[in-house]
Amino acid sequence: MYTLKPSFSKTLFLKSPLLRSSFKPQFFPYTTQISSPCSSTPLSFSITCKLKTSEDGKSSKSLAKKIVLSEGAPAVSEDGAGNGEAQPKPASKGGGGGGGFGGLVKRFPRKVLSRLSNLPLAIGEMFTVAALMALGTAIDQGEAPDYYFQKFPEDNPVLGFFTWRWVLTLGFDHMFSSPIFLGMLALLATSLMACTYTTQIPLVKVARRWNFLHSAEAIRKQEFSESLPKASVRDLGVVLMGAGYEVFLKGPSLYAFKGLAGRFAPIGVHLAMLLIMVGGTLSATGSFRGSVTVPQGLNFVMGDVLSPSGFLSTPTKAFDTEVHVNRFYMDYYDSGEVLQFHTDLSLFDLNGKEVMRKTISVNDPLRFDGITIYQTDWSFSALQIRKDDEGPFNLAMAPLKLNGDKKLFGTFLPVGDSDSPNVKGISMLARDLQSIVLYDKEGKFAGVRRPNSNLPIDIDGTRIVIEDAIGSSGLDLKTDPGVPIVYAGFGALMLTTCISYLSHTQIWALQDGTTVVIGGKTNRAKLEFPDEMNQLLDRVPELVESSLSKQSDAISG
Amino acid sequence: MIFSTLEHILTHISFSVVSIVITIHLITLLVDEIVGLYDSSSKGMIATFFCITGLLVTRWIYLGHFPLSDLYESLIFLSWSFSIIHIVPYLKKHKNHLSALTAPSAIFTQGFATSGLLTEIHQSEILVPALQSQWLMMHVSMMVLGYAALLCGSLLSVALLVITFRQDIKILCSFSFDEIQYMNKGNNVLQNTSFLSVRNYYKAQFIQQLDHWSYRVISLGFLFLTIGILSGTVWANEAWGSYWNWDPKKTWAFITWTIFAIYLHTRTNKNLQVENSAIVASMGFLIIFICYFGVNLLGIGLHSYGSFTFSSNL
Repeated sequence: MYTLKPSFSKTLFLKSPLLRSSFKPQFFPYTTQISSPCSSTPLSFSITCKLKTSEDGKSSKSLAKKIVLSEGAPAVSEDGAGNGEAQPKPASKGGGGGGGFGGLVKRFPRKVLSRLSNLPLAIGEMFTVAALMALGTAIDQGEAPDYYFQKFPEDNPVLGFFTWRWVLTLGFDHMFSSPIFLGMLALLATSLMACTYTTQIPLVKVARRWNFLHSAEAIRKQEFSESLPKASVRDLGVVLMGAGYEVFLKGPSLYAFKGLAGRFAPIGVHLAMLLIMVGGTLSATGSFRGSVTVPQGLNFVMGDVLSPSGFLSTPTKAFDTEVHVNRFYMDYYDSGEVLQFHTDLSLFDLNGKEVMRKTISVNDPLRFDGITIYQTDWSFSALQIRKDDEGPFNLAMAPLKLNGDKKLFGTFLPVGDSDSPNVKGISMLARDLQSIVLYDKEGKFAGVRRPNSNLPIDIDGTRIVIEDAIGSSGLDLKTDPGVPIVYAGFGALMLTTCISYLSHTQIWALQDGTTVVIGGKTNRAKLEFPDEMNQLLDRVPELVESSLSKQSDAISG
Repeated sequence: MIFSTLEHILTHISFSVVSIVITIHLITLLVDEIVGLYDSSSKGMIATFFCITGLLVTRWIYLGHFPLSDLYESLIFLSWSFSIIHIVPYLKKHKNHLSALTAPSAIFTQGFATSGLLTEIHQSEILVPALQSQWLMMHVSMMVLGYAALLCGSLLSVALLVITFRQDIKILCSFSFDEIQYMNKGNNVLQNTSFLSVRNYYKAQFIQQLDHWSYRVISLGFLFLTIGILSGTVWANEAWGSYWNWDPKKTWAFITWTIFAIYLHTRTNKNLQVENSAIVASMGFLIIFICYFGVNLLGIGLHSYGSFTFSSNL
């Protein structure tokens, strides 16, 4: 392997790294064989590094540790105390935590883990999930079995083979909660965890170790390489620092990097996705939902309305709260369209004390003790009329079916003998709470009235005064313990996706006499890299004769 | 009144400018490289950008809400995003071939939006209560920007595939030709292959450039798409109490996200990088189309604001 030379080195830190304690200078190049990330063949590293226990180089005690990270190799001999970071971990991917098991048992989870973290498998899983989702939108969900018998008949199957038997047995009618889909998602989650653990975390360790390249040929082999005659590597370091790189200079060689966060961010993305999945599972199994339409003036108890969604749902004390709809009203545009609808709510606890009062509207819910009340819909409950100065009568309004989003409500006031089968009467229709349209016994249009105008209308000898239109508020109640977790996951996902757009650039340089040989590589912005490098290199000053000899003296001494 | 006339004027100006730019590009592509006109085509795109910006701002002031509430407005926003994507490399002084793609896309979307198909949606619509929220701005603008970037990137990948397979076909033909030639005269083979290799070199370079630009643009689009989907989810939670409900449009947005995540992952494997990822990106192009237009045509689900009917003149 490599011989260890205990030597002192003048390591110049031109710019102190942010994570100083965790960077360890390496004096020997390391070889890694990474055939392909996330593949089933094992990683084997051989890293030799030398530690400095005190940072200014005064200490003569230098510990040498050989860290071998490979699949079957046992733990490496440890030499006393070192920094925590350098503790050699046999990176046994499966049973690394529980050391008490035999070798065979340790190997089994490792094998499973390495199979799971196979990238083509993950890609296949993602494809399957996408295809299942597409199928879920193509097939109408949640209908009665009859519907599928008609749509996918056995004697005339879609695409030649797709009958209702396929749909119902595979659970495609409730695709997004069917075992196949959920199983696929669970498999994807385990692949995600396996891949993060086995591949990406070691990559972080590799990327964080910086190393110097000591031969000009090694530098020239990089993706981008140049040589600057009559230049000094220190000037290059200064120029790079100005461009935002972190520069490390040791003797004649230089190493600089930028954008290291771009390497870490994909791990963050995967972790954020796992967080979202956990939160989503919690929501699916531990939340309560309910929907209610309450006419103005009535009330309900929260617990009566909320129903659990899964086995983890447990009701809280807030479920005993009583909700009272004080007032429901709507705002309209000048053209008559609905602008917004509001509900004035009061919450009372078990003792009858009012604990909260708020007017909610769409996009502005009420939050109380973990339960949220949303304004989602509205309806027409009853029409209060006075007939021939008798009353007031409350006529219940029934919703009539129309195509599209518009609503229509109607009610009927019988005139004459109300027991006869062909009872005639006055019909009243309304689209919203603003105006009521009245029709007479023959169905002919009689007039339009606004509820608060109190203008009477005479139809077939009957005098009708419309006093009030009582609306009802459509409320959705929900309590969801998974929401904070999911929101945290969302925030993390957004942030880490932004950061992973950065490109990790590494530059090596070596002072070869009076020439500086430079090589560099980057992982994302590959096309712009040569231009960017050329611009930087143009700024390195060219040395004139008299200072050249001084420079070469300083460096070689 | 003045605002709507201003709107009309700006629409027509942007439309005509973009058509001129397209014509210039076509001429340079097919006929000859006219260097003097290249600058003017870039300047034409900048003029288009300002026109469409003015259009959007006018509409914003006129309506009182952010101009992104129905399909027409989102199409205008889409063509605006295309013009931005065109301008950014120009400002960074990267002379590249994206302009040949973004300009036609911009004009097609603009043309479709202003064509007769959507006349009844031309008039500004009022916002239903569910759309009156600050989230509208962030969610829809991010989604449309993301779609624009992803469409550009996928188009670049499609172009890459076309060129690669044309190259293969040409090689196949020339190989068979070479075999015949070899059987007759031995010397000419060398000539033919050397000529091919020069041409192949330029093609390979071009393919590499296309591949790289496609990757960068798609990464950017993926970022916007992620933010857009997440902000829409949070908005749904605030408005309706449930952050995911397998609504068709949402599901298709998620499918789009998954396909482009697959694209980004196929790029990590060095061997089959270029072709496979290009195929995935081309699939992504189709899927974005389904997501953006197809779901709207069905007109079902929570996202039915964006639907339109073809029976405009009845």
